Amino acid sequence: MKRKIRVLIGKVGLDGHEVGARVVAKALADAGMEVIYTGLRQTPEMIVRTAIEEGVDVIGISILSNSHMSFFPEILRLLKHYKAEDVHFIAGGIIPAEDIIDLKEMGVKEIFPPETPTSEIVSFVRRLLDLD
Amino acid sequence: MKEDKEELKELEELKKAWEEECLNPFLNHRPERKEKFVTDIGLEVERVYTPLHLQQVHFDYKEDLGFPGQYPYTRGITPTMYRTEPWIIRAYSGFGEPYACNERYKKLVDCGVDEIVMAADLPTQVGYDSDHIMARGEVGKVGVAIDTLRDMEILFEGVPLNRLKRVSMLGNSFGPVALSLFIALGEKQGLKPSDFVVDLQNDILKEYVARGTYIFPIRPSVRVTTDVVGYCAKHARHWYPSTLCCNHINAAGAGSTKAAAFALANGTCYIHHLLGQGYTIDEIAPLFSMFVDERSDFFLAICHFRAVRRVWAKIIKENFKAQDPRSMALKITAYSHGGETLLEPVNNIARITLAALAYVLGGVQFLYNASYDEVLGTPSEEAAKISVRIQQILAHEFGITHTVDPLGGSYFIETVTSQIEKEILREYEKVEALGGAISAIEKGYYIAAIMDGANRRQREFDKGERIAVGVNKFRTESKIPFGAFRIDPAIEQKQVERLKQVKKERNEKTVKEALEYVREVAKGEGNLVIPCLEAVRAYGTVGEICDVLRGVFGEYQAKEYYDAKR
Repeated sequence: MKRKIRVLIGKVGLDGHEVGARVVAKALADAGMEVIYTGLRQTPEMIVRTAIEEGVDVIGISILSNSHMSFFPEILRLLKHYKAEDVHFIAGGIIPAEDIIDLKEMGVKEIFPPETPTSEIVSFVRRLLDLD
Repeated sequence: MKEDKEELKELEELKKAWEEECLNPFLNHRPERKEKFVTDIGLEVERVYTPLHLQQVHFDYKEDLGFPGQYPYTRGITPTMYRTEPWIIRAYSGFGEPYACNERYKKLVDCGVDEIVMAADLPTQVGYDSDHIMARGEVGKVGVAIDTLRDMEILFEGVPLNRLKRVSMLGNSFGPVALSLFIALGEKQGLKPSDFVVDLQNDILKEYVARGTYIFPIRPSVRVTTDVVGYCAKHARHWYPSTLCCNHINAAGAGSTKAAAFALANGTCYIHHLLGQGYTIDEIAPLFSMFVDERSDFFLAICHFRAVRRVWAKIIKENFKAQDPRSMALKITAYSHGGETLLEPVNNIARITLAALAYVLGGVQFLYNASYDEVLGTPSEEAAKISVRIQQILAHEFGITHTVDPLGGSYFIETVTSQIEKEILREYEKVEALGGAISAIEKGYYIAAIMDGANRRQREFDKGERIAVGVNKFRTESKIPFGAFRIDPAIEQKQVERLKQVKKERNEKTVKEALEYVREVAKGEGNLVIPCLEAVRAYGTVGEICDVLRGVFGEYQAKEYYDAKR
């Protein structure tokens, strides 16, 4: 039997809006994945450590606080630092189009803006792992 | 009465005849678009409303409506409403560091804004200074950075507080500090509290379920919130020290009826706390207002606002035995936002206008509009101005404000107002039966309602039942737009430097003594505003004061480990 996809959904920084994160977490879980939700006020260090301890395939970060250009490169750096570059990093939230281009160049696999159907996120995660 | 009954009977027969002769043949070849028209709160809107519906909900003009300015205030809280003065036009604004933000404030005031709602950045909102490790990357991002009174002085340079009808900030987690910042700023501008009006959100309970800017555990936080109300009850009765928020609870997913019920239950918790300290209901009830919200349905919003006023009046009069009419007349704040889309954002101007119109028809007192580009990030100057202009157009063009409660008496509006009133009361009583707001939060009752609704809304959107024009219907654009307003990343360093400078220039001894005073009062039962004001005057920082309080109260640790499969 195929191993279940494991995903960590997280909130980084002081941003307190977590409904989006929880809705995505539920959609992924409903699609048969194992989902861990970190809760609020995580640092990039906490996110990456939890991801490694839990052995997840994908980290998904929701952010609406306009702090993505500080936190996302840091998460990517830490994944490299801990030799966990095989963990995929995806994100969602309010992120300007200009930044999406830059972040994807840095190594974020995909960024889902508001108004994305959850089915799109589910199929993206599946594709991400099947293609590996 | 007998005549009425006979008339209704006749009407019922006429309705039956209409259905058979007119409606049904029509439906045979022109069926309706949907089998049911169901609102976000689950209430089904019917094809057409008649006096028969009013009879079903036991509508009684005298009891349910009366006249504006009189109990139960369904038609409005003053006898003339906008004929005397339109609602207060607010602008929610804040970004970067105080100098840049001050420029924006001056422009907003020039446009004719009545009230500035100062948006503080997240570190400020959760009581961290700009040089704190948790503030890194977040300074000035979602609001303006405020570390000390000095930042307030810069921010309101050339904007005297008495030139505005109200001045405001959220201050949910540290109300006494927020209030002190304004009192001390007023002093710097040569003003007494009687010269200006402060409005705070200062409603901590909803933060644990819907907004997340908490600092302390729940119970000490209730004291932090209510001390502000207590202080104003004695020293500034014309201020608005606490706004009970439906908005965030609804936005998160609960739906407007449950959101109103939970906000009322949160208010009930604060009121009980204050009554326990010896205040009378009529000393404190007039100081509360509510931040009401129904964002998905135009007519529902109008009914909802009218119903919330009626429920508040009844709870305050009947449950709390208030006698002063000012206690029973609920002042409402609203924010026109919710349905904005990232694709084709200019269309949001239409959405925001319709929301604002609904709230005006519902009898709002304090209104602010989202900016059409807010889905992209911090509002641009042009977008912020348009938001103000929309309100001014509603207030001064088109005759919208000429009569009080223009939709009052509509079969539809009155039926649904009564239905919503009943539903809010039912939900409110459920929370009270669970042991009140704190208990409902701790038992996960609020969050369950929120997540059920959030998941349902997402499902409806995914299935295309919840339509966003240009997004999941009539879509022509595939890429999200460029051009979000940028915050200069260098401001973090500037802000940290100013903080250092202020610390260097202030009298350390005075600060230390003031912080010690904060600690002492926090350990006892005195009102926290008094020592916080001392500390703010001495240029103690927001972070320093909150750290002292953290030392006494502890910090809130979210206990729940969310089960995504729930």
